Amino acid sequence: MSAPARILRKVIRKYSRPMTLSYPSTAMGEKRYSQIPPKLRGIPERDLEKCIGCKACYYVCSGRATTPVMVDGKLVMQINLSRCTFCGHCEEACPEEAIKMTPRFELAVRDKTRPEMFVETTLDMAVCACCGRPFIAQKQLKRSFERLNEKIDKSVRDEVAADFRKVEQYCPECKRARSVGLDTHTKKHVWVEGA
Amino acid sequence: MALDPVLTAVGVALIVPISLFLGVIYSFLLRKITARLQWRVGPMVQMYSDLAPILGRSRILQPLYDVLKLFGKETLVPDVPHKGLFKAAPYLSLAFAVLAVFFIPFPGLPLLSAVPYSMIIASYLIIAAVMFTIIGPAASGSPWGAIGARREAELFLIAELAFVVSLFSVAYAQGTLTLWNLAIDVGRPLNFVLFAMAGVLMFLAMLGKLHIKPFDIPEAETEIVAGPYTEYSGKYLGMFFLTRVFLFYGLVGLFVAAFLPPLSSSLLWLPVYAAAAVLLVFLLSAIHTLSPRYRIDTALVSYSKLVIALGIASFAVALVLRLVV
Amino acid sequence: MAAVQPPSPSPSPSPSPSRPSDLMEWIKSEVVPEGLEFRMGNENRVFVRVKPEDVDMLAERFIRKYGVRIIHVTGVDLGIPGSDIVYLYDFSKQRERLVIALEANVPPERPEVPSVARVTWQASWAEREMMEFLGVTALNAPDTRHQFLPFEWPQPAESQTKQQASTVMKPAPGAGAVPGEEKWLPVGIRDAYSSLIPIGPYHPGVIEGQIVQVKVEGESVVDADIKTGFHHRGIQRLIERRGYNKGVFTAERVCGICSGAHGLAYVTAVENLYGAEVPERARYIRTLLVELNRVHSHLLWLGVVSDVIGFKTGFMLTWGIRERIMDIIEEITGNRVNYGIWRLGGVSRDVSQELAQRVRSIVKGVGDEAKPLLLDVAAHPVLRSRLVGVGRLSYAQAFNGGAVGPVARASNWKIDVRMDNPPHAVYDPAKISWEVITEDGCDTMARTLVRVRELFVSIGIIDQCLDYLSKTTGEVRIKPREIPKNAEGIGLNEAPRGELAYYIRAGEGNLPQAVRIRTPSYRNNALIPFMLIGSNLADVPVIMGSTDQCLACTDRFEVIDTKTERICRLTWDDLVCLSRKSSGGA
Repeated sequence: MSAPARILRKVIRKYSRPMTLSYPSTAMGEKRYSQIPPKLRGIPERDLEKCIGCKACYYVCSGRATTPVMVDGKLVMQINLSRCTFCGHCEEACPEEAIKMTPRFELAVRDKTRPEMFVETTLDMAVCACCGRPFIAQKQLKRSFERLNEKIDKSVRDEVAADFRKVEQYCPECKRARSVGLDTHTKKHVWVEGA
Repeated sequence: MALDPVLTAVGVALIVPISLFLGVIYSFLLRKITARLQWRVGPMVQMYSDLAPILGRSRILQPLYDVLKLFGKETLVPDVPHKGLFKAAPYLSLAFAVLAVFFIPFPGLPLLSAVPYSMIIASYLIIAAVMFTIIGPAASGSPWGAIGARREAELFLIAELAFVVSLFSVAYAQGTLTLWNLAIDVGRPLNFVLFAMAGVLMFLAMLGKLHIKPFDIPEAETEIVAGPYTEYSGKYLGMFFLTRVFLFYGLVGLFVAAFLPPLSSSLLWLPVYAAAAVLLVFLLSAIHTLSPRYRIDTALVSYSKLVIALGIASFAVALVLRLVV
Repeated sequence: MAAVQPPSPSPSPSPSPSRPSDLMEWIKSEVVPEGLEFRMGNENRVFVRVKPEDVDMLAERFIRKYGVRIIHVTGVDLGIPGSDIVYLYDFSKQRERLVIALEANVPPERPEVPSVARVTWQASWAEREMMEFLGVTALNAPDTRHQFLPFEWPQPAESQTKQQASTVMKPAPGAGAVPGEEKWLPVGIRDAYSSLIPIGPYHPGVIEGQIVQVKVEGESVVDADIKTGFHHRGIQRLIERRGYNKGVFTAERVCGICSGAHGLAYVTAVENLYGAEVPERARYIRTLLVELNRVHSHLLWLGVVSDVIGFKTGFMLTWGIRERIMDIIEEITGNRVNYGIWRLGGVSRDVSQELAQRVRSIVKGVGDEAKPLLLDVAAHPVLRSRLVGVGRLSYAQAFNGGAVGPVARASNWKIDVRMDNPPHAVYDPAKISWEVITEDGCDTMARTLVRVRELFVSIGIIDQCLDYLSKTTGEVRIKPREIPKNAEGIGLNEAPRGELAYYIRAGEGNLPQAVRIRTPSYRNNALIPFMLIGSNLADVPVIMGSTDQCLACTDRFEVIDTKTERICRLTWDDLVCLSRKSSGGA
């Protein structure tokens, strides 16, 4: 049988079953997600509870989509989805595993400034007791203390905790200015696991 | 047979919408069957229920909607010296195609096919319709139009040869040049052989005239943009599309009238006529789907070999039938 | 093209990787005794500093005596110290995996270097680009026209001396005769025998923006010229600004079809900078993805060539098969096109054993269905009549012109980066059995057959990779080490279109100083005019498609004024004014 006839025989078998699939979406009132693999790299989503505002995602974002913005004295970590390349770098970099790439992919809007195009997380900032500027997110301060506590040798834990309490309310510049008076110098040896 | 003026006038008035509708249906079938053979869906006969309120219940008249859309678009005319010819060509082409339809019988409507020598008149009208798709683009002043027009002329020679030889061998065997006489009379049983051979020859001619692959060389959009139709836009392009629709109906009708005799004669044969037309369109679509496009030089060589061989054979059979039997 | 005879089949490479010390001895004493400074990179890359005057003599020696190819010619602008011109030569047939890079420093007051394009055609496009972007003049170059900018843009060397650098030069319409333009008839629509047909920048038969000007008599092509540069996006500069980690994603997006190959070449180049160790499982995953990329790219190409010759059914069928491959890629990496799993030191996602087993059966099913269908499509008589004998490129032409990839292999030249200079993936014939496909037809049909058979070989490689992945476990990523300053790295990969080369030079502050990418289509496009001459006009898009072009663009229009028969370029402002005029205002 010649080649065109063989091709005809193969295609005619699928005459009534075309390869066209229906669009998987919820817009038409049906959920048909079977075609979407579960680990599709879609829109990133940030867990409000876990984010500590450390800005690691901002430093590794390859599309410069994630930016920290100060709004009314609060820190807003904002992902601009029209710039996001959905690479997943932020998911890898986040120390608290707050960012997950969801399989959602529908992003069509008429106006790129609509709130659907932004994934925002608002965090309270800790204010310096000396100069009054917000300098770090409160959760980040708390979490860094918790992490330090996990790794410190138990014998010096209380001492380190006391030192930490002395300095935690100052921003880095003020801390530097007052470092002599704070009496947290390295005269004391502190053993930290893994250091 | 004398023409009844009233019946003929009614028939002529009715055939224009009927031929338009049938031509659109044939074009739709070509697209649908091509799509299904390519594992696609194609234009929908019955639209999905959730999209039906937006898009309509059925898209079976999609080719007509495309033509109407073209009529609504802006028409640009290139700044060339022969603007008059450029603009007149689509009108003339459409006019000749519609006139050709009047001479082809439809079940229940003999129309003008009973006029003596109607077969020759119909052939010339079809030639004229195609001729203006060569002349107009040649006046368009674009290299793509010039190449497309030249290719169309080269293809036209061989397609016309096949067309003429097939029709005339049947006419010679039956001894008449009037289409109505060919359409009503089956003749001798041995005519079946002649009808088969000449029918294949006519099928090949249709491939060339309707730009069905492998012979859609003039319109090779990946090589010469749109070929003859490159500079045409808006309503002129719409008119060329309409010409194609009428020609499609006309050629299918001519095929059935000349090579499948009793089917075009009376209204009772209408279902069989429809079935034969659909089968013919299915065969055209299958060939359209399964072939790449020939290059013009290889096309002429292989096309003409086939046409000349079959042409001589069918004329010989016609000779035998006329003289011996 | 210089008429150089191809050498007799080159000696087979030595069986074991050369020890650095005797390799250096060999290079110092025999290959480049004129070198001023020799430095050994990782994995048999050798960097030799030479004087600028010697480069053409060295090029002659390398090409005629040793029979090697030029990979790329590029330059790095160092500012006050001048410019470093880098010549990359592929010595992998002489000694295993050897790439020699000659570096010549030209001072800023006299930026001249003798032309290597005079010696061999392979460097012609690279030299034109170098002259255009760096302002370095190649003395006695055969072709000094612009590579990317429009032809009538002034030469950069002129503009720096005659004009202030801050004013933007606007070309006057129809301005100045450019060398080489005299041989073209100015539009030629009215010429008696031949006409000049521009294929592009917009043409339905050509996927991306380029101009191929063909001079036809009747339907036969008499002369041809190609101009690209429409898709220049400045990606090299972007990677230089973004750093190594973010550069992975930028490098992937150079091309949509072969994005996997670009990713692997980039990570190979950067890992070559610091001499990385990549875990075995990560190597298998990398091979899996690059071969999946190759399968989908060849299926895409088959569809495109079918479409160009009018075989829409072939187009739909091959792309239908391709959809299943894309689904597999999406399951493994999370995206269909830009995989995003390339990382320095490994890959970011693991392929679990269940996934590997499931994908293996799917791939087997696709392969079994595709093989007879593709062979039928390739045996179709009308398709054969369109492709056989069309676009001939003999072995000598391919060798002298520097063809890469399936174009070279279809002319019976057995080069394949995966065998000669493997990237950081698994291509060792001891671990995965595969073979390099060559054909000797030298025409479009041979290129089609090479790609179809390569597709089958790739499916075999995928099957073996999945077999390994479904039976073992391991880590997939190792943290990268610090990149030493002034290191240089060369990463080579076999993209579906041919050899892809990345040259990276490390700079200050964890950013690269220079990133140079040489894509395979860069080479194959230079050969298109030679393939077009003597063919039919209908074959022009077919031949262009058969080299499997992958370009990418800034848009410029070319307007041919039929009354004055001159070509002029319109800028964005001109176009806006034109559109307002004809439609009666905004």
